[in-house]
Amino acid sequence: MVETQKVDSTEPETGNASTGDTKPALFSFLLERFPIEKMNFHYMVEKKEVPVHRMSWGYYTGGLTFFFFMIQVVTGLFLLFYYQPTVSDAFLSVEYINNHVSAGPLIRNMHAWSSSAMIFFATVHLIVAFAMKSFEKPREITWIVGVLLLFITFTFGFTGYLLPWNQIAVNATKVGLQSIDNLGQYLGPFSHIPVQLRETFQGEASVGQSTLGRFYAMHVVILPLALVALLGLHLFQVQLHGMSKGVDEKTKKTEKFFTAFFFKDLEVWAYAFLALFVLASCIPFESFLPFPLLEPYNALGATPPGIKPEWYFFFVYYPLEMFNFLFIIIASTIVVAILFLTPWIFKGTSRRNLRFIALAVSAYLIVMTIFGEQIYHWWKH
Amino acid sequence: MIDNRSQHQGGFRIFYACLLVMGANYFTVTAVHSYPQFQEFTEKHSGQAANCAMCHSNGNGPTGTGPGQIDGLNEEELKRLEEARKAFQPGQKIDSPILNEFGNKIVEELGRKEVLALVKEPEALATKLNKNLDTDRDGIPDAEEYLDGTDPTNKFHGHPWKMFLVNLNRYKQHILLTFAAVLLLNYGLGHLIKGIAVLTEKR
Repeated sequence: MVETQKVDSTEPETGNASTGDTKPALFSFLLERFPIEKMNFHYMVEKKEVPVHRMSWGYYTGGLTFFFFMIQVVTGLFLLFYYQPTVSDAFLSVEYINNHVSAGPLIRNMHAWSSSAMIFFATVHLIVAFAMKSFEKPREITWIVGVLLLFITFTFGFTGYLLPWNQIAVNATKVGLQSIDNLGQYLGPFSHIPVQLRETFQGEASVGQSTLGRFYAMHVVILPLALVALLGLHLFQVQLHGMSKGVDEKTKKTEKFFTAFFFKDLEVWAYAFLALFVLASCIPFESFLPFPLLEPYNALGATPPGIKPEWYFFFVYYPLEMFNFLFIIIASTIVVAILFLTPWIFKGTSRRNLRFIALAVSAYLIVMTIFGEQIYHWWKH
Repeated sequence: MIDNRSQHQGGFRIFYACLLVMGANYFTVTAVHSYPQFQEFTEKHSGQAANCAMCHSNGNGPTGTGPGQIDGLNEEELKRLEEARKAFQPGQKIDSPILNEFGNKIVEELGRKEVLALVKEPEALATKLNKNLDTDRDGIPDAEEYLDGTDPTNKFHGHPWKMFLVNLNRYKQHILLTFAAVLLLNYGLGHLIKGIAVLTEKR
């Protein structure tokens, strides 16, 4: 292994700053998470080392998510040159990109494929980080910001889905916004909040020009700004506290973050680009959908059959179709709460047990994503 | 007398009007007669949702007042429709306003008589169509697109695996160049890491 060296010290993984008893709890908490003495190039880049062990592949998942985000930004900027966010022109502008812009289909396909890849790797990164106990003190903020980033990534998917303004885009958005509305019936005195939230997103009585304008603004301005800000904090924390140990046993080897790990990350990105290029060149993303759903949205026409969200929402969509809405809402709330409180809930859990939980969650996500429809039909009959 | 005659004439007028309405009704019924058997077959065979847009100009079929629908056609389009209806034998140029490019090509290839006969066995349409017919030039023959339930007029829509194979062959030069670039880049990066490691050790 190039630039690999033996770990020769018993230096604590966290490298906490000393905190006095007299300091307020919140101040001590923040001081440990933002140790000023470590905020320098030497500590955050030159001195940083990455453990080498059987779970080392997990360290590359975050980088891959970041890589696909960069692809999203670059291809999204190209699409911005031609896309028209109006109900009359949105579909036509997408058609124009497909049929008249040089390399337009490739750029659009790369945007679509990399959005799915970004969501896939963000989810894998979260699960792997959980299995490796990367949320351990002092990395709680890294974890919480990571969870927020995942939610923003999903919101990117939801808002971007509407923009082509075809049958599936508009009808799936209607279903999604309607489910926010349905939430109100269970909130008693606060039942107006989801309705107001839906109206804020929708902007008018039904999904129309205001909705498209708002989703477009969220997709190209608000969410990217929020994501970049949180990503900055996330990466800053990662550099500040270093890579987590990842495994229960003591790691015998490490490698320098810069240059060894950094360049290896670039190598992985290069292969990811190759895979993305081949997929985007050869398989139009829309070919997975029945063609009637790709027709321009017709407000006067009937809703075509087969409306469903993108594959990355199947894990919640099919349970919503199968079970009571209230049950799903309660379960989702609990899961979200657990996600945010993970650093404290699983503080004392061994990595072995965390791996079991991560495997169970992965199995659920894979089964629901691939076989969700079959399970749904089996359940209904 | 005059009154009686006018009553008599009025009776004839009503009779003629009724005939006219019945005739128009008959004409309209035959005119808008679409053949959902093809759509039903393709949906059943492929397991994919399909609609009239596979062969018709309008996704909701030829009935209605919308664009590409019978009651929405102008005079010139009605003439083209009438011309297309006369094409009972194959080989005639078809430009029916209620059919899309694929629909027109089916009638051109087979003739209207054959198409009407195929209503009873829609699965045979795939075998009757010319294997080289590829309306959208996506590399997948229209006959296969009909069986797969994909859009034969959209070059970005087809069976994903078939599209992969066709486009892999079509863009092999681009892909090979990208592959070479990635390999060379990684070869360079790998040696850069080794070089830096050697330098670090020397220091």
